[in-house]
Amino acid sequence: MSELKKLRVRLTFPQELIKEPVLFRMAKKYDVMPNIRRARVTDTFGEMILELEGLEENLEKGINSLREQGVVVELIEGDIIE
Amino acid sequence: MKYVKGLKCRECAREYPVEPIYVCEFCFGPLEAVYDYTKIKKALTRKTIERRPKTLWRYKELLPIDGEPQVGLNSGFTPLVKAENLAKYLGVKELYIKDDTVAHPTLSFKDRVVAVALTKAKEFGFDTAACASTGNLAHAVSAHGAKAGFNRFIFIPATLEQSKILASIVYEPNLVAVDGNYDDVNRLCSEIANKYRWAFVNINIRPYYAEGSKTIGFEIVEQLGWEAPDSIIVPCASGSLLTKVWKALKEFKEIGILKEVETKIYGAQATGCSPISTAFKGGTDVIRPVKPNTVAKSLAIGNPADGYYALQAVRESGGAMEDVSDEEIIEAIKILAKTEGIFAETAGGVTLASYMKLLKDGKIDKRDCTVLCITGNGLKTAEVLNGKTTEVYHIKPNLASFEEALKRINEKKGR
Repeated sequence: MSELKKLRVRLTFPQELIKEPVLFRMAKKYDVMPNIRRARVTDTFGEMILELEGLEENLEKGINSLREQGVVVELIEGDIIE
Repeated sequence: MKYVKGLKCRECAREYPVEPIYVCEFCFGPLEAVYDYTKIKKALTRKTIERRPKTLWRYKELLPIDGEPQVGLNSGFTPLVKAENLAKYLGVKELYIKDDTVAHPTLSFKDRVVAVALTKAKEFGFDTAACASTGNLAHAVSAHGAKAGFNRFIFIPATLEQSKILASIVYEPNLVAVDGNYDDVNRLCSEIANKYRWAFVNINIRPYYAEGSKTIGFEIVEQLGWEAPDSIIVPCASGSLLTKVWKALKEFKEIGILKEVETKIYGAQATGCSPISTAFKGGTDVIRPVKPNTVAKSLAIGNPADGYYALQAVRESGGAMEDVSDEEIIEAIKILAKTEGIFAETAGGVTLASYMKLLKDGKIDKRDCTVLCITGNGLKTAEVLNGKTTEVYHIKPNLASFEEALKRINEKKGR
C-alpha cells in the first residue's frame, strides 16, 4: 500500500526544456503537488529547489518521467554517501 | 562559555537556534554555524592556543560546541611537513604537505569532522550515530563512535568490496549493506535521517560536522608560524573541506590572529568526477551533477552539496579549480611516496597531480609558499597501485643470487 510522502529535490533543466511546462505536466499526470522554494532560470539553464508531495508510487513515477525527459533530479542534501 | 550564536541559512540568511537541523524551512538552503567573533576575539589569542594540547580542540572557541570537547580528544594537529625533496623535484621554492595520512584514529581528515559532529551529538543527547559511506567517513564514525559509546549505524551500498568493509566492521558498528545503486542509498538515508532521532553526521548534524574541517586551515596557519601561505590546494568531493579551509583563514583574520589573508585557494578533482572543476572552467556557477567514474573513490561525489560554495570560495580568493586523470593520480601518489616518504590515498594523488598541472599551466607561481592538503592514508586504497609499482627482485637464498640481483639494481641505477 502506497503512502503519502514528501521529497525535497533539486531539478536541473537542460536548455531545450526551459520553455516547456515539464513540472506542471508531471504534477498533473501523477497527482504530485510541487511546492517551489527557490528557482533560477536563464536562457541556457534552469534550476529549481522544491518539495514534491504525493503517494510514494506516484512520486517514483513522476520523478522517473522527469528523468526520462532529461531533467536531473537530485536530493537537496547532495550525495550523502561520502 | 558559548561562542556559537546559532545557525544561518546560506541562501536567505534566515536565522535558527542551535538544533540538529540542516536545512532552511523556507528556501531549503543549507544552514551554517555562526559565531560571536567579538567574544571569541577576547578569549582566543595565539598565546592561549599555544598553551593548549596539540589536538584540533585547541581552537575550540571557533568550533560549534557549547561545553568541553567529548570526542576525538587526540585528533587533529597532524604534521605540516616541509616538502624539500618534492619542491626540488617540481622546481618550486617553498612547499608543505598538511599530512592527514596520520590522522588519529583512522588515518583520514574525517577524524576531524566526526570528532566535532559526535561531540555535538552528545550535547544534543543522541545515543546513536549514523552515516552513509564507502570508506573514510565510515571508518571515522565507527571508531570515534565506539570510543564515545554511541550505537552506530553505517550504511553502505551492497556492492562495496569486502576489503573496504573491514576497516569499519572491526569496530563492530551495525553495518547495513543496502541493495541498489548510490541514488537509492542516498534517498534511503535521507528518509532514515528524517524519521529516526539519530545523529546522522552528514545530514542533520552537517552544520556542526562540516565546521571540523576548519581545523586544517587553523593548523596550517599556526604551523607556518602564524602566517597564511600564498596558496593552498584542497581536494574536493562535496566541496565542504575547501569552503571551510577558506572560512578558517577569514575567521583568523576576523579575530585578529592574522592581519591579512591573501591566500589563493585551489580545488582539485578527478576528471572522472569533476562537477566543480567543470563549472569553474566553464565560467558558470551552475554545478551539473555527474555520474562518477574515477579511481579516487573518496572524492566520487557526483552531486556535491557544497559545490556552489566551493566555487565561490575559489573565485573570491583568486584561485582556480583543476582536474586530473586516473593515470596522473597514480603517478602523483608514487611521486609523493618516493620524494617525501608519504603514502597518500587516491585523493592525495588528485591534490598533487592537480598542483603539478596548475604549475605547468602557470596558474600557480613557482615562488609561492604552497600547502598541499593530503587528506587520507594510502593503505586505504593500496589496490589502485597493483601492477603499477617498481619490480620486486626475487632471489635464491644464496650470495651469488643476491649479487646477480645487485648487479641488475646497479645497472638500472646507472641508466
